Amino acid sequence: MKILIVEDEPSLRELMYRELTRESYVVECAATYDEADRKLAGYSYDCILLDIMLPDGNGLRLLEELKRNEREESVIIISARDALEDKVEGLELGADDYLAKPFHLIELVARIRSVARRRRGGRKGFALGNVVLDPESLRVTVAGEELPLLKKEFRILAYFMQRPNHLIDKTMLAESVWGDHVDQLDSFHFVYGQIKNLRRKLQEAGADIEIKAVYGFGYKLITPDTQS
Amino acid sequence: MKLLYRLALRLTVVLVPLLVLWAALFYYATVDEIHDEADDSLEAYSYMIMTRHLAGETLPPLNNGSNNSYQLRQVDSLYAATRPHLQFRDDNYYIPDKREYEPARVLTTLFHTPDGRWMELEVATPTFEKDDLLETILGWIVFLYVVLLISGVSLTMWVIRSSMKPFYRLLQWVDRYTPGHAHEPVPNATSVAEFRQLSGAMQQMVDRSEELYDRQKQFIGNASHELQTPLAVLGNRMEWMLDTMELNEAQMAEVMRMLQTQRHLVRLNRNLLLLTKIDNGQFPESVAVDLVQLIRSEQEILDELYEEQQIRCTLQLPERFDVQMNESLASVLITNLLRNAYLHSAAGAAVEVSLGQRRLVVKNEGTEPLDAARIFERFYQGSKREGSTGLGLALVRAVCEAYGLLLTYQYGEGYHRFEVEWPA
Repeated sequence: MKILIVEDEPSLRELMYRELTRESYVVECAATYDEADRKLAGYSYDCILLDIMLPDGNGLRLLEELKRNEREESVIIISARDALEDKVEGLELGADDYLAKPFHLIELVARIRSVARRRRGGRKGFALGNVVLDPESLRVTVAGEELPLLKKEFRILAYFMQRPNHLIDKTMLAESVWGDHVDQLDSFHFVYGQIKNLRRKLQEAGADIEIKAVYGFGYKLITPDTQS
Repeated sequence: MKLLYRLALRLTVVLVPLLVLWAALFYYATVDEIHDEADDSLEAYSYMIMTRHLAGETLPPLNNGSNNSYQLRQVDSLYAATRPHLQFRDDNYYIPDKREYEPARVLTTLFHTPDGRWMELEVATPTFEKDDLLETILGWIVFLYVVLLISGVSLTMWVIRSSMKPFYRLLQWVDRYTPGHAHEPVPNATSVAEFRQLSGAMQQMVDRSEELYDRQKQFIGNASHELQTPLAVLGNRMEWMLDTMELNEAQMAEVMRMLQTQRHLVRLNRNLLLLTKIDNGQFPESVAVDLVQLIRSEQEILDELYEEQQIRCTLQLPERFDVQMNESLASVLITNLLRNAYLHSAAGAAVEVSLGQRRLVVKNEGTEPLDAARIFERFYQGSKREGSTGLGLALVRAVCEAYGLLLTYQYGEGYHRFEVEWPA
């Protein structure tokens, strides 16, 4: 899968490049509107990560241009302005997703995956090992057998399955499942509880994926192919 | 005290000594004039008697219908030598006709007849009663004082009021003015040079403070904005280390701590941006938001998050409570108020939320009152808490100000009580 990063901040661009290369994507970068324009004129990509505030132009115009030319690329908008209008305008112009800075790279990877999955259509849900999770019907099956999960447990599993083999620390997980409310908490007791139940349920159902604790800091979803 | 009243009071006070002085002068001048007249007639009368006496003519009868009276007697030379020969004085004089004493002007003359005798002539004419005169003058003075006061003060008031109109317009304008809000230009419709000058100076000041206010707002917005990307880079580099570098436990703990600090910064920054946006009115669109639903879902989340603390939260909510607000801001209002109550409650403490009669009340148990004057200020924290941004209640206030809601804090009966009221 080929990705174009349009981002003027060199450090952030480098980080995105490194992370996405690690995920074995083919990645190219553009630092300005012009450079992005030139690259898009010459090549086609599967996904474009588009910063809308570029030194020489508004990324949204680039998006308009793409849509006018009926290009197939998926576009994820990246913006430092967490403004609702930007988001609405971007999505109306045909962007596939919107990510506000500052974001976690792991989040970016998950979004790319999710956009790609929607693009492909057809195959439903995420499959890892013998576990399949379908975000639309909120169902999880282990080796074909349905695994009953509570709402929060489902959301935690979905979060992990979109970010396999990455370290997810407790704050990140809590924030994504419970929202912004966790920022002032001293203890993450509620996370332990949920994870404990989820691990037990997965184990009892005979799942070959496993949520592993990494010291006391966070968790990692281990898939069978990395285990062996 | 209003300027007008102060002027009236001053005028009233200043008029008193002025009129007292005037009354005294008037009194003495009148007395003087009356005496002068009386003395002249007494002199003439006494001259007439003396002439007659010396000429050996018969003296006029004592009761001649006029109120004048006289007394002529012989005195010895010793007496004459010790006395002034011509003396006016005020005295009470017995009027035989009226059979009573009346105040009179008396002239005593000593004269020497050709045959060597000393004669004393006392002539008297009744005059006025000084007390009566004083009383009358006092009466008129008081009357004059009142008349002067009423006419003078009311005239002054009227003149001042009408010529100070531009000034009062300016004052009203100043009352209405709040920095950063839309306002009319400083009123300047006057031909009085001083008022024009004042208005001009005011306009300049307002323009300058508006500019500063805008610049400051912009600065906070821009600064927070510019911080987003470096913060994102910093955070992601640390996450990258944790994710890929096979750190040992101690190293990981250290990076986690850095990450916590970075996340605190991110939150701080995000809240500052949010505050700036609220202050800038960047949440214009309003819809009907049901606060009851918002409160219920928020309470559910908080109960879960604070499960360990065993906080007893009771809700007293109606079926629905719709308000016209921006959805995000309604959520900012509710979450921050509720979160604040949970966050600052000891384990097992009670939190009460009630809604109704245009009012939202959030109470939580606490041991001592907070500084009500400063509690809604940015970064004011009664007790420093790790991870708390100190902006939660400032956000609540910003939302309330944006919608003209009344926000109050009180402490009583062991509870902190936050109230938001929707004015009728």
